[in-house]
Amino acid sequence: MAGAAEQQIHRDPALFYWILLPITVVMVLTGILRHYLSTLLQTAPKRLPLPKIREQRSLLRSANLRMNYAQISPAAFQKRREWWIESARDGKFLADPDARGKGKPNPMSDPAMMEGMMGMMKGNVAMMVPQSLIMGWINAFFSGYVIMKLPFPLTPQFKQMLQAGVGTRDLDVRWVSSLSWYFLTLFGLQPVYNFILGSNNAANQVTQQMAQSQVNPMGGAEDPEKIFNAEAENLEVVEHYYILDGVEDRLLERLQGTV
Amino acid sequence: MANPLLEAPTNSSPATAIDLSQKASTFINSQSSWLSAIPYPLSLFINTESQEKWQTYENLFLACLRTGDDNTAYACLESLTNRFGKGNDRILGLQGLYKESTAKNDSELAEVLKEYEEILKNDPTIFSIRKRRAAVLRSMGRTSDAVTALTNLLDQSPTDAEAWSELADLYLMLGSYEQAIFCLEEVVLVMPNSWNMQARTGEVLYLSSEKLEGADQLRLLSESMRRYCRSLELCDDYLRGYYGLKLTTDRLLELLSTGKKSQQSSSDPVKGDLAPPSIDAVKKLNELATSKLTEIVRRSKSGEKGWDGYSEAEIIAARELLDRGTQKIER
Amino acid sequence: MLDERELATRPIVQESVQHNARTVSNIRALTASLFGVAAGTLGLESFPGFIFYAVGTAVVSVLIFAFKAESNPKAYFWRPLQDLWAGDMFGGLMSFVLTWTLLYNLAKA
Repeated sequence: MAGAAEQQIHRDPALFYWILLPITVVMVLTGILRHYLSTLLQTAPKRLPLPKIREQRSLLRSANLRMNYAQISPAAFQKRREWWIESARDGKFLADPDARGKGKPNPMSDPAMMEGMMGMMKGNVAMMVPQSLIMGWINAFFSGYVIMKLPFPLTPQFKQMLQAGVGTRDLDVRWVSSLSWYFLTLFGLQPVYNFILGSNNAANQVTQQMAQSQVNPMGGAEDPEKIFNAEAENLEVVEHYYILDGVEDRLLERLQGTV
Repeated sequence: MANPLLEAPTNSSPATAIDLSQKASTFINSQSSWLSAIPYPLSLFINTESQEKWQTYENLFLACLRTGDDNTAYACLESLTNRFGKGNDRILGLQGLYKESTAKNDSELAEVLKEYEEILKNDPTIFSIRKRRAAVLRSMGRTSDAVTALTNLLDQSPTDAEAWSELADLYLMLGSYEQAIFCLEEVVLVMPNSWNMQARTGEVLYLSSEKLEGADQLRLLSESMRRYCRSLELCDDYLRGYYGLKLTTDRLLELLSTGKKSQQSSSDPVKGDLAPPSIDAVKKLNELATSKLTEIVRRSKSGEKGWDGYSEAEIIAARELLDRGTQKIER
Repeated sequence: MLDERELATRPIVQESVQHNARTVSNIRALTASLFGVAAGTLGLESFPGFIFYAVGTAVVSVLIFAFKAESNPKAYFWRPLQDLWAGDMFGGLMSFVLTWTLLYNLAKA
């Protein structure tokens, strides 16, 4: 595997104290900084006016009814469904009954919307700025020479990236410059953060990115009346069954063996 | 076993509450250890925050109020206030709770009530205070006012399971079973997996079936039995569930064996109600519940590991129920 | 495909699933780092190193199975095969590579 001509490069041990260690320490510190920054930048959710709360929670109630309908008897379900659909059609839940039929509001004009987008931006800034800063720092100070040897072989395609600025054609890809150490720490430090900051931290941007992609910033921009009508339609097509139907047989079947 | 510090003491027996409140001062002292004494820039590296910590503070606060240790309760409240700020909804509710429980007579309580109304006038969206207000109204005996307060709250926030179950309780106090059942169904819709609420619904159904006769009673009783079955399906070895199951199946066996004829027509397919259970299944369930209850009582008496979480009062009640059953057979 | 009724009668609660997954991934990350330290100190290279990791995680899986899941993974994981045995095999790989590389270089230099 290694072949006869395994390259040996004698490295100065000072490389560790002056390059590897600083990069690692800086990476850990940035993780912690990012964690506190994102905690700091988190804006508390704004208090909604009462009618708006009512509108949202009424919608939520219908969603609950639609999802957990099996928990109540058919008669009870029917009663609730009729009542809810009728009230929704009359617009009884709307926060602003006068604004019915005016159509979709412009997301830019809505201050709440703007706030949501600002929150997104802040999150992105807290993520991107330290990352690019550190990459710039490493490129400026520590490029142009190899500092370590990877314990596993890589294909030559990585040469470009991992040996940037070295420019020796025949050097084994396993010899890499400081930038690759940066990448390794970027992906591998999660357990360290977990240990320092507790497992709910916001230090690692990889996990952060995953969390952020799930939030839709334009979620609330629809006309509330339309949402209610859609919800009413969804509720109408629900086919009811009762979870208590045959529960005694299920229970008996399950517990027969244990007693 | 779950940590008793993390469970709300409102559900625990008085003995555990006392035990908890005695632990309170040691806990508070333990929080000011060397970890939190680290100077500012270094303290950033250590995370002393956790949800459990503040949950513990809140539970200790409640336990201390219950046992009358107002000073320690105040210390807990103070640390909570320092952490979350005066304006926090939950803190406002807890502060109100403290004032309520230190109020000595009704006039002081009325003053607290007035304070709540003052807060709500400024900002009617603080639901914790609105709930406290309903609770004060209830404890002052103004039940119908409490009902109105809660129905108003629920109109604006119809997904609040806590308020729904409180309202169900109030209706039960007033004897309006149908409304209570409606509220409990609403709770179950919000939290479909809560076995205790399923069993609670069964309890109310059982109570209301006592008032009725004939086909209606059978219908409610079998639904009550099925609720208990569901709660047992969700949670193994749930004592209340087995207790209720035994109670309802006992009654059902009586009903099913006496008037066979009239019951056949009771299941009305148009309304979509379930047919009453077969007498076989009921018998089997009854046997099952009896044997399970006996097992639970026996094991918890001998203090077997993993079986010691049951409340003493419930165990005694279960024993009584079992004894009643055996007496009947002897007769 | 999931049977909706089956899911309603035997619900799977999101919080519990998350809690279990987090516990497992914490254990994995920590042990993977320790394996990296071991592999680096032993001076393992390329394939032996990865095999060391694979064997190590397999042992950890068995330990989780035996102690954390009390030999009954069905009660703790929705799909035991994915969530416990196979799925998280690579969760700790990056941590392993990090400590492996670091210790390998420290030991060789």
